[in-house]
Amino acid sequence: MHYREAIRLALDSIRTAKLRSFFTVLGIVVSVAFLVAVVAIIQGMNAYVRVNLTEAMVGTNSFQIRWMPIEMAMLSDQDVVRMNKRPLVSLDDAAAVRAALPDAKAVALQTGWPTPAVEVAHAGRSMPNVITFGITPEYQVVYDYGFVAGDALADPDVRERRYLAVIGHEVATQLFDDPARAVGKTIHVARLPVRVKGVIAPKGKTLGQSLDTFVLLPMTVFETLFGRRLTTTVSVKMHTAAEVPAAMARAEEAMRRAHQLRPREENDFAVDKADALIAFWTSLTGVLFAVVPAVVAIGILVGGIVIMNIMLMAVQERTREIGIRKSLGARRRDIRRQFLVESVALATLGGLLGVAFGAGFAQLIAVATPLPAKVTAWSVAVSLLLGAGTGIGFGVYPATRAARLDPITAMRAE
Amino acid sequence: MSDLVIHVVDLVREYQMGAERIQALRGVSLEIRRNEYVAIMGPSGSGKSTMMNVLGCLDTPTSGEYWLAGQEVSRLSDDALARIRNREIGFVFQTFNLLPRATALQNVELPLVYGGVGGRDRRDRARRALERVGLGNRMDHRPNELSGGQRQRVAIARALVNEPAILLADEPTGNLDSTTSADVMRVFDRLQTQGQTIVLVTHEAEIAAHADRVVTLRDGRIASDLRQDRTRAA
Ligand SMILES: Nc1ncnc2c1ncn2[C@@H]1O[C@H](COP(=O)(O)OP(=O)(O)OP(=O)(O)O)[C@@H](O)[C@H]1O
Ligand SMILES: [Mg+2]
Repeated sequence: MHYREAIRLALDSIRTAKLRSFFTVLGIVVSVAFLVAVVAIIQGMNAYVRVNLTEAMVGTNSFQIRWMPIEMAMLSDQDVVRMNKRPLVSLDDAAAVRAALPDAKAVALQTGWPTPAVEVAHAGRSMPNVITFGITPEYQVVYDYGFVAGDALADPDVRERRYLAVIGHEVATQLFDDPARAVGKTIHVARLPVRVKGVIAPKGKTLGQSLDTFVLLPMTVFETLFGRRLTTTVSVKMHTAAEVPAAMARAEEAMRRAHQLRPREENDFAVDKADALIAFWTSLTGVLFAVVPAVVAIGILVGGIVIMNIMLMAVQERTREIGIRKSLGARRRDIRRQFLVESVALATLGGLLGVAFGAGFAQLIAVATPLPAKVTAWSVAVSLLLGAGTGIGFGVYPATRAARLDPITAMRAE
Repeated sequence: MSDLVIHVVDLVREYQMGAERIQALRGVSLEIRRNEYVAIMGPSGSGKSTMMNVLGCLDTPTSGEYWLAGQEVSRLSDDALARIRNREIGFVFQTFNLLPRATALQNVELPLVYGGVGGRDRRDRARRALERVGLGNRMDHRPNELSGGQRQRVAIARALVNEPAILLADEPTGNLDSTTSADVMRVFDRLQTQGQTIVLVTHEAEIAAHADRVVTLRDGRIASDLRQDRTRAA
């Protein structure tokens, strides 16, 4: 019997018992759907973290000197309590780092958590929840900001505490329609009137949130308005990625000297680059990637055993049919092939169904949440191979039993 | 090669039933020539079905020789026997043994499926076989949409479709009433006229009367082997 024949037979018998077939492969459907969906979500988050979060938070070829490390969420409570006693990062620290790194492209100071989200208004129009940072001018270099209108903040603006602001593209369009019209106008940031000096080129969206909804104020203006933040951060941008590690070491030295730490004393600050964020993320997904195969393996094993049982039942039910086929000239391998193809077809259909459900679920996540879940080709390939493999692995025994039946005895079966 | 289709020598078939050993065939020797029409009779338990199963290569003898169309087949492997069944033998059973979910045509195609005949050729040959048994208009019916006599004719078409050296039938009319039995016997008679070699088992003298040779078994041995003038229904 040709494979074509065997496949037709298999699909026929699956079709005549749709519901039973569905429940037979439910284990595989669920396992595969789980695999596809989880991988899609993790991959989506990975892409997000790599491309957007790290650059948005730290900048390219950059590192930060922070009060607390980036991966704060991973620290134990004792660590946090201990670190709470650290001195805050100050303008003096920024100056010390600048002195130690004359080759840096930019050394900036920026305010951090808790970042105020305030209302920004102009002439009857307003925009709520606009995040506001206080910065030194080089911050705009660290983040590679370009300007569509007006100019960047400059050193005198900080020194002389000028009531100026540089605003994100979306804030400008929201309040002025045309960003060019914003320059020179007075806006109210949390009721404080400041004049718009420049509008930053659009950065787009990630996680469904605009990266262009912010206001930058001179550090001095910000502190007048909101007071000093706990987590003021020094950002350093080098010209190339290769310079970053050495620069981090020199910055660490400069900071230790500035804070007058003795040789054995541990740092009372953190030097982090985007890698720290990625490493943190990788360790998190690493745990997930270790757990997923185990869960899928258990699901597939259970699914496979169900398939084996159902196939043994099918052989039992169709003993007479097998006898008839053998009496007409079916060889062992013909019968074995018929049942093996059936279990493979079943399991593969289960795999396909699982992929469909998993992809649908990932799509749902992508639409309903800001996470950009993305189904990966390899997870689909693995799923289908897993499906087919399960069909073979757990179909061999029932098929072999069917093939060994004696035609006369089989034909006498009820 | 002679026109000997079946040649069995001293055929023995024993069954082991726990400690007991049952001899269903106790040394049967028999020759059947091409185009012979043989009826096998005998009381219940005399070994008729056992004999037919061996002749049909569904079973192998405990000892003895079985030459089918010039080939010794009593010691062949499972798969080799399957090949013989497919090529050389057409078997008709008392209980029809059709696949219930398949149409008449698909049932008749089965031996061709296992013979590696594909596509249009297969369909054409199956169709012709059904036409030979007078069921050209019932090809797409499933067994439960056919009468008993029609089912048995489908089974005969299936047995014929590979043009076997021998057509074996174990009580083919056993499940049929007398009118449909007559229909089925007409089919056998016509096939024999067309050159088919036929061996059939029956309890009924009326059926045996269609054959031109009657072999009677008793206790696993041939009790008599007689030629006769056949009576044929018009
Ligand atoms: N599979 C088997 N196992 C054990 N004994 C068997 C088996 N098949 C047949 N027999 C025995 O072999 C003997 C011959 O049986 P067989 O079926 O050939 O008889 P038969 O002539 O066809 O009878 P009937 O006219 O009732 O069909 C009987 O005694 C039967 O009990
Ligand atoms: Mg019998």
